[in-house]
Amino acid sequence: MTLPETINGLLPIGGLAGEVVAALIGAALIGTIMLANTAVAGPWAKRKITAKFTDRIAVNRVGPAGLLIIVADAVRLLAKELVVPEGVDRPAWDFAPLLIASSALLGFAVIPMGSGLQLADPDIGLAFVFAVASMASLGLLMAGYASNNKYSFLGGLRAVAQNLAYEIPLVLTGASVVIFTGTLQMSEIVAAQQGALFTLGPIAIPSWFAFVNPFAFVLFMIANLAEVGRNPFDIPEAPTEIVAGYQTEYSSVYFVLVYLGEFVHIFLGGAIATTLFLGGPAGPILPGFVWFLIKIWAVFLFTQWARSALPRVRIDQLIQIGWKGMLVLSFANLVLTAVIVGAIA
Amino acid sequence: MSLEEPQQPDAGVTPEGDLDYDELADLLGERVLDREEHVNAEGFVIRPDEVEDTLSTLKQEAGFDHLSCVTAQDYQDRYESIYHLKKYDDPTQELSVVVPTTRDDPTSESAAGVFDTANWQEREAFDLVGVDYEGHPDPRRILLPETWQGHPLSQDYNQDKPQIVPLREHANPVEERTEVPQESDTMFINIGPHHPATHGVLHIKTTLDGEQVADVDPDVGYLHRCEEQMCQQSTYRHQIMPYPDRWDYISAGILNEWAYARAAEDLADLDVPEYAQVIRTMSAEMCRIAAHLLAIGTFALDIYGDFTAIFMYAIRDREVLQNLLEELTGQRLMFNYLRLGGVAWDLPEPREEYFEMVRDFLDEWPSRLEEYHNLLTSNELFQMRVVDTGILPPEKAKSYGATGPVARGSGIDYDLRRDDPYGYYDQLDWDVVTDDGCDNFARASVRLREMEESARIIEQCVDLLEDWPEDEREIQSNVPRTLKPDPDTEIYRAVEAAKGELGIYMRSDGTDKPARFKIRSPCFCNLQTLPVMSEGEYIPDMIAALGSLDIVLGEVDR
Repeated sequence: MTLPETINGLLPIGGLAGEVVAALIGAALIGTIMLANTAVAGPWAKRKITAKFTDRIAVNRVGPAGLLIIVADAVRLLAKELVVPEGVDRPAWDFAPLLIASSALLGFAVIPMGSGLQLADPDIGLAFVFAVASMASLGLLMAGYASNNKYSFLGGLRAVAQNLAYEIPLVLTGASVVIFTGTLQMSEIVAAQQGALFTLGPIAIPSWFAFVNPFAFVLFMIANLAEVGRNPFDIPEAPTEIVAGYQTEYSSVYFVLVYLGEFVHIFLGGAIATTLFLGGPAGPILPGFVWFLIKIWAVFLFTQWARSALPRVRIDQLIQIGWKGMLVLSFANLVLTAVIVGAIA
Repeated sequence: MSLEEPQQPDAGVTPEGDLDYDELADLLGERVLDREEHVNAEGFVIRPDEVEDTLSTLKQEAGFDHLSCVTAQDYQDRYESIYHLKKYDDPTQELSVVVPTTRDDPTSESAAGVFDTANWQEREAFDLVGVDYEGHPDPRRILLPETWQGHPLSQDYNQDKPQIVPLREHANPVEERTEVPQESDTMFINIGPHHPATHGVLHIKTTLDGEQVADVDPDVGYLHRCEEQMCQQSTYRHQIMPYPDRWDYISAGILNEWAYARAAEDLADLDVPEYAQVIRTMSAEMCRIAAHLLAIGTFALDIYGDFTAIFMYAIRDREVLQNLLEELTGQRLMFNYLRLGGVAWDLPEPREEYFEMVRDFLDEWPSRLEEYHNLLTSNELFQMRVVDTGILPPEKAKSYGATGPVARGSGIDYDLRRDDPYGYYDQLDWDVVTDDGCDNFARASVRLREMEESARIIEQCVDLLEDWPEDEREIQSNVPRTLKPDPDTEIYRAVEAAKGELGIYMRSDGTDKPARFKIRSPCFCNLQTLPVMSEGEYIPDMIAALGSLDIVLGEVDR
């Protein structure tokens, strides 16, 4: 049962109106949960995590462990003047931050978060989530092209080149999971990972696809780094080269939207990886939703780790890795998986 | 190439390896009008229309392949350009070529055809002093704005007259530049003056062809603070010493102070007690490690992005050195510790505690270096980025007057600490680090290994200082309260600063202030090689090349 159905059951409205109201309430709930995560991640957790990696302390003055910096940052960013540079391409420039933020948020509609938190569970769930996630590159290109700034322009072009090179390996690796499950429906993919792969004494190793096919998992995580634009693939932003690329000209609320969109995107990447490879919300003792959060935060932690420790590759090197390396490997993975699954069947 | 050619001995060198000025004068024949005696070398006076000819003869036949510095100055009756020539093989063999011109028509032939480094140096001489260089490929101002009226270091210049520049002169300069021909495929982009990777206020006018760099034109001068003039208005004895700290302000203070101390001590013929030399050597090497750490840290920043751990690790380790220097000098950044004829004060009491602090650092240091090597040089992604990018061939490096880790990263075995010894360096056991890579990786790797050598030097200095007899701890020689070097003495002296050869030219007119004070900045010369390294490369590689040059704009612009 999806979340709107549950809510509808609790509401005394019924009929079409009830469905609509329940859907809106559900969407607001999921959206709030994810935005709350982002709010913790962006201004606070990112600082704290990076500080730990780089031997610093980071925010510790405002509130316990500096947590109130989230409020302070929100007030600060929203209070800033929205500077609209001369000659920007107005509708596109305004629309880009919305697209970047909303496309990532939209992906969470089909992610099973455990404890009954799933907005919709269509048959084509996985295709849907990849489709909306890649809409963000359109937003990046719009932002880069409409800003009337050469740095933004370079950043927008880099973003598209990068996403083209990495979307295909990402989707192909996702498809290799589909060969196991035989369905694109997210709840079914999670259900397919619930059994035990083998037992190691008292510990049962679950049949998560990360354990079944670790090669695909590694490929997916690398492609995901490029997809969300984090080191070694933060080329579209590259603050030390093209001064943060497509987001150069954005300030105030628009900047918040772009920035927030990035973080939601990292979490969406984490959510896809969790659903496809880490058994979704499954886990012992704690409720499913908590496990889901732990897993997406683990992926987030991984991106921050990469950011602190890995150099940024060059755009031509990235394209080479993408088209000559990752693409070939992901095809090989897909074909091999198909052959093995076929042989076993 | 040079291996196959038989090694021709340079003209003008005696079999003992000393310079024979008479033979050099014979080589130049009638071009030498007069011979002057400078403290560091002889000066050959030549006609202003024979500069290129003379310098190319000296370069090709006498082996003077290093144009260290171009100094311009004006006298009551004439302007003068001095070309300070050296050899990369043996920098103690020096020669100055003096080119006087009349006051009415200060036109002199450019040397940019012989030495690439003369390009910027003559631009600076034109900008500040006002000598016109005929045949110069790019006769623009360099440190001051294009609209500046007059030449501030010449005697005609009225310093009280404000610079009034009409607004139209400053009407958006970008506007005309963006009018590129329509059929052109390139894009002009301003990198800086405010940009995260320029490490200060440097403006790089860049033309891009897609992601590739088609043309680079560094525009310097944003941080010009008239350091030369301020030194000319200050007394030798005490007032000049604080300024060198502010040239290369990235913790290289004592290295810079030493440049002035060495030049002034040689000019006025002052002795420095050995004990003070050991302290100078130790503190200078601490500065070198601190400066190289920041260079490595910011280089990593350019390549990794702004959340890299390496930068913070470098800052953390630099903190230890800053504490050591603070204990010694009382200051963390602008040390002002050296004095003419010695140092300001002895090691802090109790001495054992200070030695222990230094030894703690030295014990920790190998593991720290190991960490940097793990994170940087043995990181495959890092190698992918920096190996074979930003190539600076050795011939180009020499022609551009590159020194320091930039030259040593191109395989040029040149280090003034060993080749033109001063301080206590010649009595210590250490090696000059070179790398034949000529690329961004080589320059970073040279710095990392140089820090290891610096630690060796510090360790030996600490050993020496610990055992130094108590009654021989003399930190200062006898120096007159007011220092007035003999009139009309001239000197050009250089030391190995963090970024390379930091030279100072001084001319005394018998007063207690120098009549001309010229700074040869290693960063200024090294920065000139940026177009060589980056044209045809990708933008990220240009940024990396700039980072590997390790420029400090305070020293470039002075």
